[in-house]
Amino acid sequence: MNAIKLTLFAMTATVSLSACGSESPEPTEQIVIREPGEAATPVEGAAADADGADAADLVAAGKSAFAACVACHSVTPDGASSIGPNLYGVVGRAAGSLAGFDYSDAMAGSGLTWNSGELDEFLTNPSAKVPGTRMVAGAVNDADDRAAIIAYLATLSE
Amino acid sequence: MSDPVSEKPERSRAAKWTRRGFIGAGAIAGGALVVGVAVRSGNPVGKLKGIVAQGEGEALVNAWVKIGSDNLVTAIVPHCEMGQGANSTIAQMLADEMDVNWENVRVMDAPADGNYVSQHAVRTFVGPGTLPDRPNQVSFMEPTYDGLFTQIGKLAGAYITGGSSSVRSTGQNGMRIAGAAAREMLVASAAKEWGVPAAEITTQNATVIHAASGRSEPYSAFAAAAAEQDLPRAPRIKTVDEYKLMGTPAPRKDIPSKVDGTAIFGVDAGPEGENLRYAAVKASPVVGGAIASMDASAAKEMRGVLQILNMGDFVAVVADSYWQAQRALNTIKITYTESENDSADTATMFAGFTKALDEAGDSGGNSKADYGDAVGALADAVTKVEAEYKVPFLAHATMEPMNCTAWVRDGKCDIWTGTQVPLMARDGAAEGAGVSADDVTMHSVLLGGGFGRRLTPEYTNQAARLAKATGYPIKMIWSREEDTAQDFYRPADISRFTGGLDENGKVICWNNVHCTEDEPPEAPLVEFYDIANVSVRNAEVEWPVRLGAWRSVAHSQHGFFVESFVDELAAAAGKDPVEFRRELLKNSPRHLAVLNGAAEMAGWGSPLPEGHGRGIALARSFNSIVAEVAEVDMTGETPKVTKVYCCVDAGFAMNPDGLKAQMESGIIYGLTAAMYDEITIKDGAVEQSNFHDYKMMRMDDAPDIAVQIINGAPDNLGGAGEPGLPPAAPAVTNAIFAATGQRIRELPISKHFA
Ligand code: HEC
Repeated sequence: MNAIKLTLFAMTATVSLSACGSESPEPTEQIVIREPGEAATPVEGAAADADGADAADLVAAGKSAFAACVACHSVTPDGASSIGPNLYGVVGRAAGSLAGFDYSDAMAGSGLTWNSGELDEFLTNPSAKVPGTRMVAGAVNDADDRAAIIAYLATLSE
Repeated sequence: MSDPVSEKPERSRAAKWTRRGFIGAGAIAGGALVVGVAVRSGNPVGKLKGIVAQGEGEALVNAWVKIGSDNLVTAIVPHCEMGQGANSTIAQMLADEMDVNWENVRVMDAPADGNYVSQHAVRTFVGPGTLPDRPNQVSFMEPTYDGLFTQIGKLAGAYITGGSSSVRSTGQNGMRIAGAAAREMLVASAAKEWGVPAAEITTQNATVIHAASGRSEPYSAFAAAAAEQDLPRAPRIKTVDEYKLMGTPAPRKDIPSKVDGTAIFGVDAGPEGENLRYAAVKASPVVGGAIASMDASAAKEMRGVLQILNMGDFVAVVADSYWQAQRALNTIKITYTESENDSADTATMFAGFTKALDEAGDSGGNSKADYGDAVGALADAVTKVEAEYKVPFLAHATMEPMNCTAWVRDGKCDIWTGTQVPLMARDGAAEGAGVSADDVTMHSVLLGGGFGRRLTPEYTNQAARLAKATGYPIKMIWSREEDTAQDFYRPADISRFTGGLDENGKVICWNNVHCTEDEPPEAPLVEFYDIANVSVRNAEVEWPVRLGAWRSVAHSQHGFFVESFVDELAAAAGKDPVEFRRELLKNSPRHLAVLNGAAEMAGWGSPLPEGHGRGIALARSFNSIVAEVAEVDMTGETPKVTKVYCCVDAGFAMNPDGLKAQMESGIIYGLTAAMYDEITIKDGAVEQSNFHDYKMMRMDDAPDIAVQIINGAPDNLGGAGEPGLPPAAPAVTNAIFAATGQRIRELPISKHFA
């Protein structure tokens, strides 16, 4: 066997050994801040309360991220619904309950009440949360953006 | 000729091979012309069938071909797709041998299963070089070799995409035979069913036809029966004049998904319907350093952060999104343990190279080639020429940064990642997850660039460890900074030459010593040039960083060294660089034809505007010969490459469009490095970090490229992915010399025009 021809393999093999060792080390320090399923953001948490500036930032960020929704939703008090229902006061409201809007059966019968957890899930993937919903666009992939939008929606009530 | 299926002493350690096992494995009796799967005991097709042929009515004819009830034929290709398009070309080879029309062909990545070790690729790397490509001849030695290759392949975890080997090895020696065998098995099944002689049956467009009785059936009708057939002893493969698909620019099968965005790259992939968590990581910037301490007080308070981990050799932040993880990671104050490389820097390293070269002198070091008497002949030289060249470390800078998604649960591990070595990556993940390799499922995805960077398994190991420690499905993504700092770099090098010319300006001796250990070993050799006295050596040196294979590997340095020095010899002889090389190539007709091809395309010798220049360079790598002429415009502040004319002889262009694209791509990748880039080390760490200080060639700086193909040896295929690169840098520096008289002996070129 030609030793030189094996160089490429030798290189990769060495890498494999040096990177992995025979067994891979466990973490020497593991700081668990929260488990999955706990609120993804400090919207309702102490951090946001402790830092009012942060909360205001979040609402401002939410207002601009809401640009993705304005094509279908208005948020003015008593404003008319368009493609989607008016979202003024949506936080705390039962899903599919705005008078005069023609909801899908799925939404009307969902039994949900919009709080930040439900909204977060709905906005992550609307049709996974409410199968059959007519809201076909408007999913928000970024968790930060969702949190911000929800914080913003929460400010829209009397 | 011995029957390779019968047991032989050297194989007695392996479990008994049954004939059925061989057939099922897709091996061919009568010379062990193994169709891909080869030398292993038992019949893996049963197991493989469940993995690769799950569709209703699908039959796995041999391990490389499956036929669906819809008469679609799928080539199962043991190479990954990183933009090079080779998988499509390999499928084209299979389809041609099988007589399947291109519309009916699909391509599937082989699963990361040991049965798909590409021993044909392994052979190209470690084979005895002398073994000719002769797929339909019986070779007595091959059984032994194949056994060896499979073993080495397994050792190295090979199922490798590299070495420009896919088409010329797996395609030529594996897929074509698999296709021809599958066709013969289909014909045999039809002959049996119809009760007619097989010789009367013809095939066309995935259909078996018996003209005399007017019968015809799609392949799918016989797929299941064919799978039960004995494998033909030596399936007949087509001669060049019979090619229908081979040699045509059949459209690549991966293009539509890349155009419509449905193509899934590693960074896009992950478990369906699961909520991924994202990890950003940082390892010690100095090789050999580990994490001494971390202060994560700021990161703990940041939004989206789930966990912060000190993994001993790296720090990780796991968060709801990648950007949250990375931002939090950036705030962590990390200290590192001491490393012997803490004080390493490039200048000291190069000083060490110089010392090693001084010590090697004109005859020391490891000999790579030695014929005639290079030292003695120099004494007779009328003109002596000496030169020293230098190239830096280079990073791969794949467009898709290194990443891996891992999910460890119930003693199993799932991995989604782009890799050139799926089996090795799988093993890295197994170790990280603390499970056996069999409990790791590798999900194959496209690679957003490979270039040799994705030949290492350390990133699957990292991701698996994080997934195990946290319990989440984790998508780990390296920042560009991490990618630049933690690469396996193309080796830097210094290369010294002494050459001698006689009174007619003919080269009588060539003496070269450099530092890199050469992979592949022929990279610094010049036997195609007619020089009687040659000595090529390397001096051993120490490296302060991790080294890796970078597109065209050692040819990337030696292409520049050798072709610069040939140009310097031409200048010393007072001869035109093309004319000078023609004389040197008088015994190498294929090289000469390529040189002349490039010169002709470029209109070599025709006048150029003031301040412009032309340079030529020639290189043979991965069994392909490429010459390039570059034109430069030196009238601005920095050199501008305006045109590159490229002539390539890869034996036979299985897909001319693909070969052309690979030449263009190799040229751009080579020019990027030659024009702008170097990785330097200070205090043990890489100084560059991102695209502002490790530049890519942009559209406005890219030259027009023309490619011409010569099919100079249809039975002796060369590679495509790498050979376009080596001549690019020297063609440009030679052009700069032609335009200005300035000889660039150190890359990158930008250093000289700051
Ligand atoms: C393409 C139009 C469209 C876009 C864009 C859109 N939505 Fe909707 N949305 C709808 C429709 C239609 C419904 C009613 C769904 C149903 O009845 O199933 C709806 C319903 C909702 C509801 C439930 C309201 C209720 O009264 O129960 C919420 C909350 C909501 N959308 C939020 C958003 C947010 C936040 C965005 C932006 C990120 C957004 N939507 C973007 C069309 C849209």
